[in-house]
Amino acid sequence: MRALRIGFLLGFRQIQRANFWTTTLIIFVMMLTFLNLIAVSGILVGLIAGAEVAVRERSLGDLIVSARDDEDRILETETFVRELEAFPEVATYSVRYQASGILEANYKERRNLQDERDIANVRVTGINPDNEEAMTNLSSQLIAGEYLDSNEEGYILLGALYTEEYAENFGDIFETVSGVGPGDTVRLTSGNVSKEFIIKGIVQSKVDEVSLNSYIPEREFRRVFNRFDRNADQIVIRLTDPKANAEVKAAMVASGLDDLAKIQTYEEGVPKFLTDIKNTFDVLGTFIGSVGLIVASITIFIIIFINALSRRQQIGILKGIGIDRHAIEIAYVLQAAFYALAGSLLGVLVTYGFLVGYFDANPIDFPFSDGILVAEPIGTLYRFITLFVITLFAGFIPAWIIVKQNTLNSILGRK
Amino acid sequence: MDIIKATNVHRKFGEGALEAHILKGIDVTVAEGEFVAIMGKSGAGKSTLMYQLSVLDQPTSGNIEINGVCVSQLHEKERTAFRLNTLGYVFQNYALVPDLSSEENVMLPLLMQGYTWTDAKERSHHSLDNVGLKGKYLNLPAELSGGEQQRVAVARALSGKPKIIFADEPTANLDTVSGTQVIDLLARLNHESHQTIVMVTHEREYAMGCDRIIHMEDGLVTNIEQLK
Repeated sequence: MRALRIGFLLGFRQIQRANFWTTTLIIFVMMLTFLNLIAVSGILVGLIAGAEVAVRERSLGDLIVSARDDEDRILETETFVRELEAFPEVATYSVRYQASGILEANYKERRNLQDERDIANVRVTGINPDNEEAMTNLSSQLIAGEYLDSNEEGYILLGALYTEEYAENFGDIFETVSGVGPGDTVRLTSGNVSKEFIIKGIVQSKVDEVSLNSYIPEREFRRVFNRFDRNADQIVIRLTDPKANAEVKAAMVASGLDDLAKIQTYEEGVPKFLTDIKNTFDVLGTFIGSVGLIVASITIFIIIFINALSRRQQIGILKGIGIDRHAIEIAYVLQAAFYALAGSLLGVLVTYGFLVGYFDANPIDFPFSDGILVAEPIGTLYRFITLFVITLFAGFIPAWIIVKQNTLNSILGRK
Repeated sequence: MDIIKATNVHRKFGEGALEAHILKGIDVTVAEGEFVAIMGKSGAGKSTLMYQLSVLDQPTSGNIEINGVCVSQLHEKERTAFRLNTLGYVFQNYALVPDLSSEENVMLPLLMQGYTWTDAKERSHHSLDNVGLKGKYLNLPAELSGGEQQRVAVARALSGKPKIIFADEPTANLDTVSGTQVIDLLARLNHESHQTIVMVTHEREYAMGCDRIIHMEDGLVTNIEQLK
């Protein structure tokens, strides 16, 4: 206790009387280290988190209803939807019918039947345009043309990656049709049924489910794909409180809706590879951040070592007059703790006061997502504790090395 | 009664061809309340002797007994505690902590001895008053003259009321006036509080106020001069 009291007195005064700019610089270095620890993994994880946010907003919503594992479609879809509407937590929903078809373009210009047809296998989703708009704001993803009108027929929205013009940046990995845009006519074929559609708009999103999709009104979908049972493939639901999705799911299951379909929260329904990549990036970010941690601990080690070494004679005298060596060590550990604490607090301030908000407002434009900075408080706390503990050790070791030296040798400046 | 009793103290440094035999069998006693000066030329071994007597160093052989305790047998931790509770030090370069004010420098050993902050502060002010530094409690060492810094060091040495004060050339870095003030201060404290003082000096005029002068040459005590 006595050693602690003196250690605090010595340490506090050393910090208080230290050169202002030197202290500022050390704290700045610690802040950068902390930010490195937070930001590197935060942005790596944010790449995937950005994609997750986009998938949730643009495609899957808070709850995902799909066919039970032993069924092809959602059973008694209309009953399901009626029940669904009785839940006050449901803000909006969209019923989707999905199938694959063959899209053909430029067939009117094809004069020789021996010429290769301009076709692409496409995914087709039948939607209620108004419901889909309310659910995913699909019209905001238009890069050309207009959105579907519920009262019109014979129009299709085409995902940008099905057009050669927009898909060419991705090489030859997608099946595309060439030279099409709003106003052009294409033919959609499923089995023996074909129907012409006019392209009303092109949609492009960082969510592949949108860019690699084509949308037609549900009644036309039923006709083309011969789906008159009205049983849908997917219902996506947005809740008034997205965080309550597990509770709402439980309520739906309790009311027996899971007899008709599989109900999943977004977290359960999100593709596993996204979670795996997120975890991998988190580990990768932590690893890269750890390099910064090592640099910070070496920095602190050097600072405290030089500080203690330059005060070696004073340390010897303190020991000489009977001050416990632990008191002197505590003084230097306290300094290291101060640098770590001040640097980390500044880092937290910059992270939550500026960086998170900044990246939310100005996401990093990656090809497959809008990267944000993910800084979960618990993760930040964990990194803060790690930095703090390592800094304490980095402060203690040099102090211990100098303090353990022979008292008289320290006083006389002998080796 | 002898408060310091050194018997056949040897101190060697280095090994083999590089061995230096600094103290070559010293027998010295200091009585309680005595003011003793150790004098000698540079290299005579006077500082080395003081380091042995003040428990800052351990003799290669021989025995040292201080206040009835055989200090040669003590471990490092015990030696530190012994120095704290029994001995006071005044070093030639003042040896104050530059970041602490005068009062905090004096408070350090008191806090280590277990005094509360308030008691330590009160005693510190009393000690500083005693060495003529009333009103300089909050000054940092850098804000004091050399003589004043050395008086803070004396106040620190006195504050815990040690049995013995060791002063290693306390006037070495001071001008004549300041040096005389410090020696007079030590002499007054010795006279008033009967604290034992052992002082190393190479200036005879400063040693003239002592009770005895121990003369050293080449690691041996050559003469003991009784002044009072």
